[in-house]
Amino acid sequence: MNSKAYRLVILSLYVAMALILSYVESLIPLPLPIPGAKLGLPNIISLVSLLTLGWPLTLLVVVARVLLSGFLFGGGFSIVYSLAGGLLSLLVMSLLLHFFKDNISLILVSVFGAIAHNLGQVVVAAIVVQTTSLLLYFLFLMLLAIPTGIIIGIAARELMRLLNKTTIFNRLNLPQKK
Amino acid sequence: MKKNELIIIIILLVISIGGIAAFYIFNATNQALSVRVSRQGQVLTVLPLSKDHTETFTDASGTNTLVISDGKAKITEADCPDHICVKTYPISNPGETIVCLPHKLVVEVITGES
Repeated sequence: MNSKAYRLVILSLYVAMALILSYVESLIPLPLPIPGAKLGLPNIISLVSLLTLGWPLTLLVVVARVLLSGFLFGGGFSIVYSLAGGLLSLLVMSLLLHFFKDNISLILVSVFGAIAHNLGQVVVAAIVVQTTSLLLYFLFLMLLAIPTGIIIGIAARELMRLLNKTTIFNRLNLPQKK
Repeated sequence: MKKNELIIIIILLVISIGGIAAFYIFNATNQALSVRVSRQGQVLTVLPLSKDHTETFTDASGTNTLVISDGKAKITEADCPDHICVKTYPISNPGETIVCLPHKLVVEVITGES
């Protein structure tokens, strides 16, 4: 199998895993009266994908996951908010990994990614309903994003550690980070 | 994780907690409070928070039932798919909001008589 085909296999696996995590996440609503508060489990895959496939392919993973999970588990309109959050989160995490590659932990990348995700969602929501009064809501989400971002960051770090012990990334022909 | 990363996380925590605290402190008031219901920026109605009231808001996208009781406003029923507005905590402080995204409905507590 050449490395292009191999990359496609890994990409498909990431989409499948992220989709399953979206589903698992929809089964465990956080016991909080803050609407839209989520663990961010699919972000584990986004982080691993960013480190192994780079941002252009991770963009595909995120878009595919959001569209598929939106059609399968959410109402149609939720896709727009998830997409805005997912893309902003990806942008922030890519930039952080690009500029601070060796000086930043996955945990911090994950926390900033989680906050960016909420920001993207809240901004689109504010535009859709035409209100400026979602600041308090965003602050609550941001507060929540810190612990969940840390948990997701630790999960992604441990997953990377385990995957690096296997040979599955050897044929990606990409520079290994961390 | 390094020490300065821990500091960044603590700063983020302080920003969010401080922001929430500042929000409640600056918005605290002794004035009468009202509930403003709007759809896509258009104000539908303004109701006093002190008076118990139930009203259903309907448009082409669906319905939301707003209940005001004991100085708190809450959406008790909605026919949207996610029911996020129904799950939102009852609001009673100025600046707090309940949003129904599919129906583009915003319920917020504002300062002043209706």
